[in-house]
Amino acid sequence: MIAILEQGLLLALAAMGVYISFRIVDLPDLTPDGSYIVGAAVVAALLRSGHGWVSSVFLAALAASAAGFITALISTRFKIHTLLASIMVMTGLYSVAIRIMNSPNLPIPRFSTEKVLSYEQIVGKTPLDDILGGSVSFQYEKEGVRAAIVPFNNRADGHDLFIIAMFVVVIGFLLWLFLRTELGTMLRGYGRNRFAVKVLGVNPNFFALMGLTVANFLVGLSGALFSMYSGFADVNMGAGMVVVCLASVILGEIIFGSREFAYGLLFPVVGAVVYQILLSLAMKYGYRIGFKPSDMKLLTAMFVVSVIAARRFKKSEVTV
Amino acid sequence: MLRKSLAAVVALLLVSVLSFGAVRIGITQIVDHPALNAVFDGIVKALEDAGFKIGTDVLIDRQNAQGSVQNAAAIARKFASEKVDIVVAITTPSAQACVQVITDRPVVFSAVTDPVGAGLIKQMGRNDSNVVGVSDMVPVSTHLRLIKTVFPNAKRVGVLYNPGEANSVTLTNMAKAAAPSLGLTIVDMTGTNASEMVAAVNSVGPDVDVIYIGTDNTAAASMQAIGAAALRLKKPIVAADIDIARQGGLIGFGFDYFQVGVETGKLVVEILKGKKPSELESHLIGPESLLLFINLDLMKELNVSIPQEIINRANIVVQNGQEVKR
Repeated sequence: MIAILEQGLLLALAAMGVYISFRIVDLPDLTPDGSYIVGAAVVAALLRSGHGWVSSVFLAALAASAAGFITALISTRFKIHTLLASIMVMTGLYSVAIRIMNSPNLPIPRFSTEKVLSYEQIVGKTPLDDILGGSVSFQYEKEGVRAAIVPFNNRADGHDLFIIAMFVVVIGFLLWLFLRTELGTMLRGYGRNRFAVKVLGVNPNFFALMGLTVANFLVGLSGALFSMYSGFADVNMGAGMVVVCLASVILGEIIFGSREFAYGLLFPVVGAVVYQILLSLAMKYGYRIGFKPSDMKLLTAMFVVSVIAARRFKKSEVTV
Repeated sequence: MLRKSLAAVVALLLVSVLSFGAVRIGITQIVDHPALNAVFDGIVKALEDAGFKIGTDVLIDRQNAQGSVQNAAAIARKFASEKVDIVVAITTPSAQACVQVITDRPVVFSAVTDPVGAGLIKQMGRNDSNVVGVSDMVPVSTHLRLIKTVFPNAKRVGVLYNPGEANSVTLTNMAKAAAPSLGLTIVDMTGTNASEMVAAVNSVGPDVDVIYIGTDNTAAASMQAIGAAALRLKKPIVAADIDIARQGGLIGFGFDYFQVGVETGKLVVEILKGKKPSELESHLIGPESLLLFINLDLMKELNVSIPQEIINRANIVVQNGQEVKR
């Protein structure tokens, strides 16, 4: 159960980001599928080069927020829908992440390893040696990796949960404070009515930039913490992030019903935890009813669509 | 209705009594993929050969992360919190996820090309930890020598792989390290899905003499199309994986994944018999188990000649549309 809470709260950070883009500023943004990997990749690369985890995590989130900024910039400058702009950025980030890690997968090891050797070096001979011409004079050696220091112990004893929960609480509180400031209020206003902020004499594009930057900062933070937590960064980590986060937000909304904004930030948090619980139940008991884990994606997508459809049916104003 | 549910309860009780004392093995893999499923089948075969009955002596909880690294981590934690006695993790990300969270029970990895670089173990061979397994590393420099022997005039070797697969990147780096001393140049041919791979063959293919494919999952999945594209360009494919070679390769030298599974299963059997992972050796598939595959039909079609002494050593040849094992 602790592990489920840990993963739920890690997801919650990304879900908060998606909540900001989809709900607060009302800009559908798919950048998270890419910015999540950027967060993971940057933290892994920095930790391996000997940086402390606090600064690494912060820089990773910052790098991810830059991705959101670029999406918003493309969208506002060239008047492209954010959906399309974010698909472009997300696609490009795949290559960026591989560049950052210089590999598609970068472990964050808890122990130092020896040099990596080739097959022939390990076995000590070349197979088929008697019939092959030529010889290879090379010593393939990839330097071993140094142990990185991360704040997680993976013992499911509450230690990791505490750290993750602290992140969620502090970030949630800061966000809540920010959204209550004048700037935050205007940001929310921008989400409700694009023209209202124009009347106030502020360029609405500013809010698109701010909204997506903050949103992807949170997603990158989630990715960075997740890769430290799971011990590696992988370029395929981000796939489907937006859909899962959106499902979490919607779950939260269903649980709380319509409440005022003050509770809004709880939607993604509670929703993400509930989503994780449902996922683990599906894994644990699903096979009894012939449910395969691979059906989970279809189920998630169907869930999101059916909730939207149900809302349309009720002629509610809330849309995704 | 009552009778039915009563019967169900009795059946459930019976099952739990029968399974009392059985060993639980959790097996996790990253995606549903023929090669990885072959590993699974190989593990089961090794267990059965050692006399363990699946379902009574050994209960297998098989999980698949559907390509999601998050799910792989969730599966690892599920195994950690449940009473799974031995965890078998197929592929790099699944193994990385398990090794992080399971420290009190044996973790057996499989089909991981570079377990040291992936941070699973400190070194190949024995380690003082709960982790042991089988690497699917292939002899890359041997492949290049094979290419040089069969095609003495070859200069440029195109390596076809998915830059998103850690295993393939490791193998490509090894090829790049080995190539210069053989007078070969390695050319990257990359694609992240089937259509990009075919596009890579069509665009870069004309500039290379031979196409080399490692143990790339993406290439394996799109081999039919890749083979057809290479044949149109009259470029031979040399593969490090027998299953890949079977679908359009001229030469294959390596193992099939069923074998990797059997080797993994043998480690599991040792653990079931009471050995600790620290008493077992992490190893790769030994040279004696490597198979040489040659498609003689394709050899004629491509109008190339393979030295007779190499053909004589082939374990599997395709001739007149028939696969012959020797």
